[in-house]
Amino acid sequence: MNETKIPSTPSMTKWRRVYYLIPVVALVIPFFANEYLLWVVNAILVYTLVTVGFNLILGNLGQLAFANTAFFGIGAYTTAILMVYFDVPYFLAIVVSTVVGGIAGFLASVTALRGIRLYYLAIITLAFGELMRWVYLHGDKVTDGSDGLLLPKASFFWIPLDSEAPKFYVFLLLTVIVVKATSNLMRSKIGRAIVAIRDNESATASLGIHTARYIVLAFVWSGSVVGIAGAMFAVLTERVLPEAFGLTEVIIHFGMVLVGGTGSIVGSVLGAIALTALPEYFRQFPGMDELFFGIVIVLILLFLPKGLISLLHRISPVFQERYYRD
Amino acid sequence: MEPLLKVQGVSVNFSGLKALANVTFDAHAGEVRAVIGPNGAGKTTLFNAISGYVPSTAGTIYFKGTPIHGLAPHDISIKGVRRTFQNGGLFLELTALENILAGLHVHIDSSFMGVVLGLREAREAEREGIARARRLLDLMDLGAIADTPVKDLSGGQQRMVEIVRTLATEPPLLLLDEPVVGLSPPMRDRMMEIIRRLAGEEGIGIILIEHIIDLVMSGSDVIVVLSSGEVIAEGTPDEIRQNREVLEAYLGHA
Repeated sequence: MNETKIPSTPSMTKWRRVYYLIPVVALVIPFFANEYLLWVVNAILVYTLVTVGFNLILGNLGQLAFANTAFFGIGAYTTAILMVYFDVPYFLAIVVSTVVGGIAGFLASVTALRGIRLYYLAIITLAFGELMRWVYLHGDKVTDGSDGLLLPKASFFWIPLDSEAPKFYVFLLLTVIVVKATSNLMRSKIGRAIVAIRDNESATASLGIHTARYIVLAFVWSGSVVGIAGAMFAVLTERVLPEAFGLTEVIIHFGMVLVGGTGSIVGSVLGAIALTALPEYFRQFPGMDELFFGIVIVLILLFLPKGLISLLHRISPVFQERYYRD
Repeated sequence: MEPLLKVQGVSVNFSGLKALANVTFDAHAGEVRAVIGPNGAGKTTLFNAISGYVPSTAGTIYFKGTPIHGLAPHDISIKGVRRTFQNGGLFLELTALENILAGLHVHIDSSFMGVVLGLREAREAEREGIARARRLLDLMDLGAIADTPVKDLSGGQQRMVEIVRTLATEPPLLLLDEPVVGLSPPMRDRMMEIIRRLAGEEGIGIILIEHIIDLVMSGSDVIVVLSSGEVIAEGTPDEIRQNREVLEAYLGHA
């Protein structure tokens, strides 16, 4: 007999593998979608990573840190500057943006570690975002200020990213890797430690868990994920503008987390889809589009206070966020 | 017998206020030691000082012969002094199983890269942890609620989950801050029975804070009486019952 045999309780978490079908089915999108629609899908992929990174801090770690939009900008400008001034290949620029985003995340974690929490952490991180926007605007010798930094045509290894379809496949690959890695991380002792800190920081330490280490890890991971999103965003828009990382964007990213569902990776994807696609859809009602957008957000949060992910929870408990993997 | 825990001359000051003054006692393996005293006597502060949540201003604390005063809470926990919290220290959004798994954190031997890449050894370590956590819950008849979020459990079940979580790593010393508060009388008796068994059969040293005098008298081997941060008496339940000073200071009748 095998001593370490795992009890044969039906593993509910295995059903979640249906999620693997989503990127597979998505592979056919470029065969049906026109250039514009594909651009929207690409933007959804970018904002999926923005939301996954933001949600890790807001939903899982439970810290009111709003520096993620700034990390997003830092990632985008890092890639843009490397490609414009140093002819760095896109893949390498993505790697550097990931590292720089992680470093920015580390710096943000220092404020939280020093006991700056709640509204104080919120205002400090918001101020940091505005400071970065000021840097982009006034560092115009490098960033071209409010005109934005125009990128050269990028290629991912041998694939030229000269239209939306190749961008889609590269972005899909990056998104799947990052989302899967983040999901692995969350459904492990590391993810449990992060959520435990949110629920009760003192009790977490009492279990031998070095809480400061996991707070830093969460911020660094979040910053890296959003750094990658920034690198994707730079190539998606081909021009990096300071306005793309302002306070309005912070609110939209915050909205994506809440509309999708805090603490849920799948929720993050849903939130990114909803709040990227809806404004595009409402463009057909000029002058009213922002009003409609606002109304929809309010309605979703009124009727689904736990976000779109709660619709999946109603279908089956299988879709509840779980912090282990068997 | 070499004491498990040696608390010597420990004082804690909160901005001039003396919360603990020169507290000294030894705790032993296999012993249930109750700390009693009126509200504000410094019982929880004593626990916080032992487990590293509050820095002591004077004195030393030795666990198994090595100093633990000045260490961070997680380091003291890893050394084998584990505690529960008065207001409940559970992770309410997590299931009972996930709470126990968090309790097993330091025993689940998986690396960062192993976890991120989903490597075999990390997944094996995780599976072993899950199997162990389920076994622990089954042992306490909590198997049926393993996958229930803790916030949906009854007060009694929550207390049990917290005890199981604290015990998951088989710590030699357990600090229980009011383990039966909010429980029905039959549940209280059951909890005290479990605590007695942990000390008697597993040889775990237990220090507990408790207000219900009957439970303390029947359930503990030694009682430490705190008043205004000072130990005013220490002895067996019988000795404490006879102690005039305790009767006056704490029990309120002479």
